[in-house]
Amino acid sequence: MFLNIPEMSSKDYDLHGRTDSYRVATVPSLFDDNKTVDGKPKTRRKAPSSISTKYSHAENLDELKEDPYLDYHKISLDELYQRFGTHPGTGLTHAKARENLERDGPNTLTPPITTPEWIKFTKQIFGGFSVLLWCGAILCFLAHTAETSTTEDPNDDYFYLGVVLVAVVIITGIFSYYQQAKSSAIVNSFRNLVPQIYLGSSLIAVIVVTGFLSYCRQYNQGAIIWSFYETTSQFALVIRQGESLTLRAEDLTLGDIVELKFGDRIPADLRIIESHSFKVDNSSLTGESEPQSRTSEFTHDDPLETKNLTFSSTHAVEGTAKGVVIAVGDNTVMGRIAGLASSLDSRPTPISREIINFVNFVNITAIIIGLLLFIIALMMGCYWLDAIIFMIGFLVAAVPEGLLATVTVCLTLTAKRMASKNCLVKNLEAVETLGSTSTICSDKTGTLTQNRMTVAHMWFDNQIIEADTTEDQSGVQYDRSSPGFRALARIATLCNRAEFKTGQDGVPTLKKEVNGDASEAALLKCMTLALGDVMSIRRRNRKVCEIPFNSTNKYQVSIHETEDSSDSRYLLVMKGAPERVLDRCSTIFIGSKEKVLDEEMREAFNNAYLELGGLGERVLGFCDMLLPSDRFPKNFMFDVDEPNFPLSGMRFVGLMSMIDPPRAAVPDAVAKCRSAGIKVIMVTGDHPITAKAIAKSVGIISEGNETVEDIAQRLDIPVSEVNPRDANAAVVHGSELLDLPPEVLDEILRYHKEIVFARTSPQQKLTIVEGCQRIGGIVAVTGDGVNDSPALKKADIGVAMGISGSDVSKQAADMILLDDNFASIVTGIEEGRLVFDNLKKSITYTLTSNVPQLLPFIAFIMLSIPLPIGAIAILCIDLGTDMVPAISLGYEHPESDIMKRPPRNLIRDRLVNNRLISLAFCQLGIIEAFAGFFTYFVIMAENGFMPYKLIGIRREWDSRAVNDLPDSYNQEWTYQDRKSLEYTCHTGFFIAIVVVQWTNLIICKTRRNSIAHQGMRNMALNFSLIFETILALFLCYLPGMDEALRMYPLKWTWWIPPIPFALALFIYDEVRKFYIRRNPGGWLEKETYY
Amino acid sequence: MNYGSKTTFMGFDTDKRRLPLFKRIVLYAYDKDNGEIFGRTPSSWAQVGIFYTGLYLSLIAMFGVVLWVFFQTLDPRTPTRQLEHSLIGTNPGLGFRPMSNETHSTLIHINSKSVEDYSVWMDRLVQFLDVYKKPGLTPGRGQNIATCNYNQPPGKGKVCDVDVKAFDTCTEEQRFNFHRQGPCIFLKLNKIYGWNPIFYDDPNDLPHDMPKDLKERIKQITNPEELRTVWVSCEGETVSDKELIGPMSYWPIPGFPGYFFPFENSEGYLSPLVAIHFERPAKSIVINVLCKAWAKNIIHKKNGINRGSVHFELMMD
Repeated sequence: MFLNIPEMSSKDYDLHGRTDSYRVATVPSLFDDNKTVDGKPKTRRKAPSSISTKYSHAENLDELKEDPYLDYHKISLDELYQRFGTHPGTGLTHAKARENLERDGPNTLTPPITTPEWIKFTKQIFGGFSVLLWCGAILCFLAHTAETSTTEDPNDDYFYLGVVLVAVVIITGIFSYYQQAKSSAIVNSFRNLVPQIYLGSSLIAVIVVTGFLSYCRQYNQGAIIWSFYETTSQFALVIRQGESLTLRAEDLTLGDIVELKFGDRIPADLRIIESHSFKVDNSSLTGESEPQSRTSEFTHDDPLETKNLTFSSTHAVEGTAKGVVIAVGDNTVMGRIAGLASSLDSRPTPISREIINFVNFVNITAIIIGLLLFIIALMMGCYWLDAIIFMIGFLVAAVPEGLLATVTVCLTLTAKRMASKNCLVKNLEAVETLGSTSTICSDKTGTLTQNRMTVAHMWFDNQIIEADTTEDQSGVQYDRSSPGFRALARIATLCNRAEFKTGQDGVPTLKKEVNGDASEAALLKCMTLALGDVMSIRRRNRKVCEIPFNSTNKYQVSIHETEDSSDSRYLLVMKGAPERVLDRCSTIFIGSKEKVLDEEMREAFNNAYLELGGLGERVLGFCDMLLPSDRFPKNFMFDVDEPNFPLSGMRFVGLMSMIDPPRAAVPDAVAKCRSAGIKVIMVTGDHPITAKAIAKSVGIISEGNETVEDIAQRLDIPVSEVNPRDANAAVVHGSELLDLPPEVLDEILRYHKEIVFARTSPQQKLTIVEGCQRIGGIVAVTGDGVNDSPALKKADIGVAMGISGSDVSKQAADMILLDDNFASIVTGIEEGRLVFDNLKKSITYTLTSNVPQLLPFIAFIMLSIPLPIGAIAILCIDLGTDMVPAISLGYEHPESDIMKRPPRNLIRDRLVNNRLISLAFCQLGIIEAFAGFFTYFVIMAENGFMPYKLIGIRREWDSRAVNDLPDSYNQEWTYQDRKSLEYTCHTGFFIAIVVVQWTNLIICKTRRNSIAHQGMRNMALNFSLIFETILALFLCYLPGMDEALRMYPLKWTWWIPPIPFALALFIYDEVRKFYIRRNPGGWLEKETYY
Repeated sequence: MNYGSKTTFMGFDTDKRRLPLFKRIVLYAYDKDNGEIFGRTPSSWAQVGIFYTGLYLSLIAMFGVVLWVFFQTLDPRTPTRQLEHSLIGTNPGLGFRPMSNETHSTLIHINSKSVEDYSVWMDRLVQFLDVYKKPGLTPGRGQNIATCNYNQPPGKGKVCDVDVKAFDTCTEEQRFNFHRQGPCIFLKLNKIYGWNPIFYDDPNDLPHDMPKDLKERIKQITNPEELRTVWVSCEGETVSDKELIGPMSYWPIPGFPGYFFPFENSEGYLSPLVAIHFERPAKSIVINVLCKAWAKNIIHKKNGINRGSVHFELMMD
């Protein structure tokens, strides 16, 4: 089908608005109309354009784009001036400008409506676990009031505990709020606010807060750098009342006449009225990096494609122009897209869904069980105040207060680590989302490829030779002395306007920046590598005249004096679209001989052309001719406008083809994704053939996998007869996508492993993203243009490009790739998966200690024993000693290659699952509780209360009236002495939990492997063991702690009782893991492997 | 890698998720399709049950073993930690009788007009004094009992008798004077194993905050052995309480004789008692009473909390 090259209508290419680029001239002229040669549709998924476009989400966008312009680009200039009351020479009057400005507002984007900060803050304070803690705090104040009114000598404990609880709630609220706050202003205001809030709250809170703030601050500083996107003010040269004024861009208004020159950023949407070789870079809007010329002629109905409009936020790269402002601020194309992006709802991240579920689970369970026990307690004749104390304790014990802060800190640490690997994460939760990613929709240009055209192949002497495209120049070498190559190189050097920018002496040739077209730059670099200093060659072969490239001719010609001084003939060199160039040749230079261009030679040419085209490369043809000296003597006046020299009968020399080569690390990264079960979908605006070629070279379409079309070709049957399920790969054309019903798109996405979307408009990305999400994928999308931003927002992870990305896309994205490199995403995924695993460990660790906190309260009510642990000791554990170890688990090394397993299933692989809960609550936690109770009984018994004496003693024990309670040795205890003993027991229970949490921390390091295999290389964790112990010693022995936190100094022997249980915990878990390893998929794994 | 198939994505088994909440709960409680009861089949429940029974039994066994080992270190008659090594400390408090049966309440509210009402309080006192009257009620008391006085401390292993008859009008027979609106309240010092009082044995060196009448009483003592007493005094807590409380008398003496100390958990040991007779307390008003025990090693205030003393409220109707 390649042989039947249809003549490409210029209208087809006008669609893409790049008619004067080499690219248009040189891509294989096969316009993919989604039909086979015989006119049948290529796939049987649909008949082209047969289904209504109502399914397409791109519709809104298109509507949106066209709406504001109506006909500004179509109407005549006079009508335009009239409509805006302006004049091309003198511009608006000042009065008119002021009037317009008052009517339309300044030329700036309206920031999206945001929730007021205090509402966000209030939400944090009353959301999540805070509900339970508020209940606890209210109960505390209730109990305090009740005490004050009933007794002479009220105890301030409840009041104090209430204050601490409120402080905890507020501080945790600040954490979460802080996590959401991203702008620097908030960071600064919080630096002032925080000290006042935690003044007077407990010591533990201080430790946590300071630790957290320093983390957050460091993280946010990274983010601040990126947050001043559009703060630099721009200026524009405006003509008003006949004089040129330099105004700030926001002062522009409709009808202003603006003068533009290269280097300017376009300040508003303009209709061009005058231009001199004016070119704009629309990449920030369309992602298309090639400069496009803009003139005053109306060329296309679509405002985005017509040549007489330029858009706000794009850049002028060449020439000068004058234009009339036709839209400002939110009405510009940019403003409209930004508005759409901010109005799109992105769904909550998987981790926030998990956390919400978990918090609800804990809240509901705690309230139900708490109330149930409260009622039981009252029915058992418990004094109502005791029952309330019980409720407070139970609620405090049931809430893992430190958990949310731990999760936040773990995510922050990972975000920091990712930032150092070139992934800047804007939204903390996105860290984990990245780990759950099951589909990546990636751009091609710049992300998968280097965004640098490079000569890939040459054809001369009837041979295709591979040029060197590698970044490090280690590629294939070729014979540089053959006459064929020298002739080709001479044309490529001379018929070329590109030049290196000055001041780049130290830069490797391939990385130097070039003034000029991408294809010419590629030739320049290739020739510099092959021949050395191109500029001196050009100087020796002085250019006499030149016909620049244009879209009608599709070739470029220049005439030079030769460096051979004995030969006074002029040399004419030409390059351009291969078939056009060939048409102008009568001979061909092969094997240092000039041969007549016969059918055989044409065939050879065609084969080479098609082969190179099939590789997705941009092909240029080269020919030359020595002008006879008799007709063209020295100093002959060549006329460019009316060529007075021959442009046919030339000597064809060869072809050169160019491609934007893939980045070196990409094939590896794609392979990693594949082994990690992540589907990589390429979405590009490029031609399907180019897209497919790149997809193949980076492994997105892996070797041996065929598309429906490939199968059809191989079996020589019509495409419609191929079962689409047989094809693993698919290349989907944008026009085909336009009116595809969602079900069919879902089917394509589901049944093809390897998909390339070519010729897609950036808006269609949104459709693709939604499709991927519909079939249950967690989708990461890369994009750099402004109109990628809706897709970025819609995606679970929007990835913007740090270098080439537009500001709007960076704002819409969750993550920014600082080096634009696809491989960085994969690094990010790896970190995201690791953090998910480590969060599980961290949560297991934290939840385990909840059991020894809860059971004492149940025993308190059910066995009527003195309270074994108090609410404040619980807070000391949850917000003190448990915090740093839980965070340190976030630094744990992976147990196995996390990139060798499929992405997690959002329904089955939950962060907090039944197995985790049963392991933490019903197994490890129970062992810990036994350790605590043992310590409690030891302290009680050594002081005189034997365990059997304690049972049923609660009522008298807690009665202030009983001043002489006998123990097992008939000693009599006053209320104060009993309470000292009770608080010592609380401290003992606290220390017991600390001791068993040592080994719990060690066993939580792994989920499957033995600790002997994992080792103790996590220095953060080792440090946290020491830190936890020192903090516990500090809380237990620091003078004054008995008054401040009801922590009494312990005899050293009371540290011993929990040790046997700590060992039991370790042995139990090692045995459990051993069985899990030995019987993969066995019962123990099903029930306890979290 | 089967990421092309349905299972890797979440598009499975969504039918059940779409049911209304109640139906989902019912389905969770019993699912006919797979015989699951609360998410597990009976055999799965059995397996889990066996596992946890085994686990918890071994844990309880282990708990029993460590507790047994720990009990080997304990002496049944002597506390492991004593005095300042124990949290009971060296500062005994006082106890009073009769006590209210309401939790946290220290109010003694006696309606002397109603026999029914004050007999409740009387019964509590009678019950309290029973062990003093009938030695047989306290194990070991019968054999060990000895009559002691200041010159005749108990021998080794002996315990001193507390003479119930020395309480003057504060006896059961006199209805503890409840009916005469001059009630008797009994005080006792808390027992602390091995605690020895350091007596105020010099009548010229008494603490300045000791009540005057107690000081005078001490100064009248002629036998120096009798100074070896832990003195007791009761006062109204506030100025008005001091007026309302009226005169008091202490029986047999305003203190606990030194020969009762130290308490060493000997069989049959009973605390010495002091009966306080409030002779004419004000009627129908709550009087806050604070009784203190006096010895050089009893401190009365620490961190603003009363110690070595007892507080109760008295109200007569």
